Amino acid sequence: MLEVKNIKYSYNADYQALKGVSLKVEKGEMVSLLGKNGAGKSTLFLHLNGIYEPDEGQVFIDGEELKYDKKSLLKFRQKVGIVFQNPDDQIFAPTVEEDVAFGPLNLGLSMEEVQNRVTEALARVGMSGFEKKAPHHLSGGQKKRVAIAGILAMKPEIMVLDEPTAGLDPQGVTNLTKLLKELNDEGITIIISTHEVDLVPNYASKVFVLVDGLLIAEGTPKEIFAQPDILEKANLKVPIVTELFQSLEAEGIDMENDYPLTIDEAKDKFLELLNKN
Amino acid sequence: MKFDMDYIAHHNELTEANPYFKLFLTIILLIVTLALDNLYFDIFIFIVMSIVILAIAKINYRSYLKFLSIPMAFVILTCLFLIFFFGKGEVIYETGIWGIVVTTDSLHYGVYTFFRVIGCLPSLGFLALTTPIAKILHCLETLKVPKIVIEIALLMYNTIFIFLNEIDTMQKAQETRLGYHSYMSSFKSLGALASTIFLRSLDKSETLQHSLDSRGYTGELPVYVPPKKEA
Repeated sequence: MLEVKNIKYSYNADYQALKGVSLKVEKGEMVSLLGKNGAGKSTLFLHLNGIYEPDEGQVFIDGEELKYDKKSLLKFRQKVGIVFQNPDDQIFAPTVEEDVAFGPLNLGLSMEEVQNRVTEALARVGMSGFEKKAPHHLSGGQKKRVAIAGILAMKPEIMVLDEPTAGLDPQGVTNLTKLLKELNDEGITIIISTHEVDLVPNYASKVFVLVDGLLIAEGTPKEIFAQPDILEKANLKVPIVTELFQSLEAEGIDMENDYPLTIDEAKDKFLELLNKN
Repeated sequence: MKFDMDYIAHHNELTEANPYFKLFLTIILLIVTLALDNLYFDIFIFIVMSIVILAIAKINYRSYLKFLSIPMAFVILTCLFLIFFFGKGEVIYETGIWGIVVTTDSLHYGVYTFFRVIGCLPSLGFLALTTPIAKILHCLETLKVPKIVIEIALLMYNTIFIFLNEIDTMQKAQETRLGYHSYMSSFKSLGALASTIFLRSLDKSETLQHSLDSRGYTGELPVYVPPKKEA
């Protein structure tokens, strides 16, 4: 579906941001890219729809190599939508509906089709009724939703989100995670970069860990969070739930090498342990 | 109370009124006021447009006063200068300081300029306070104003809020650390603010370019026609 092969990218002669990254994401997956600040996550994302052209390496979408001429770029940018970290960087139009319409209009669709898509996309993210509002009068969470609607309206196959939960309040984070999960259920492949390790096991089927421009690990959340050395290198931590069970084990309770990552898993584990004694 | 003209433009009784009508009315009023150059007409327009803004558009009188007060300060200063330092003709008043005098000519200039502005301000205010910029730009677009002008205005309009926010935040951060405590530190802080905001703007513009590109930007902003509301 989406494949990145040995991508290298330098901002200037003495700073290489990506030092040969390869990864593969299958259709319908929801994956997470972990890594500390400055690891190259945003740089990698900007390669996925051809904003940056790599010094070396290729990007494949649906098995087709990404080309950098105008026509192919338009096609690939329709397929791969990027939601930027700061919605202010993305929302530029004076009203919400005009902003959401921007992508579809660039695709050259008929006005009627664009109108339908705008209505549909805003409804999908729960922002119906805000069509005529000015974006700078919205809250952070609402802006994020509008930014997502702007991408949804292009009907992408893959949606890439750069730290989507940054700066949102807890309710906002919960609602956004729910929305992304629903979109994934509807068939959109989703790639999320984040530091929020607590949330990752809730949605991600696969995790990639990026450190200093190199991919140092990939696997299920269970596999990744079971490797302390990798977490150490990436400035990450295990989810707080897992931390609890690790410290319980230090007290002498045997976890049989199975540490829960989410609240639900923790609940089951507790019940299992309680029933055993 | 914070004066947010954009918010007012979006939330008043005339927001949804036909923008072409508002735009043309404003332009015609401006031309007529300037062309007639009649004191009584200026005052008449001032009163009528103020009533329209306050009673029909239902804009809070304090916001309206704030709107007037900013240019008013300039106008009063300018007119004082006109009265005391310009014009020839018969001297009607001598201040006795450095030979500064008021002449019939300069008094005429000063008074007429003042009332012209008084007449024009509420006309402009009528447009500015009741019409969101987006709508004005759309009007201009259909009136064949060059696209490039409108696109630049549109991007500026949006980024100006981000820009102001950024300045506001940075200034508060500096104030927190007593950046404006003395004259000297005020100069230094302001300098630092200006150079940082410039670098940040460059950075932001690049990110904006990326985000526009990633949605298929072709170098031209397309126009969206919203669906007609079903009655």
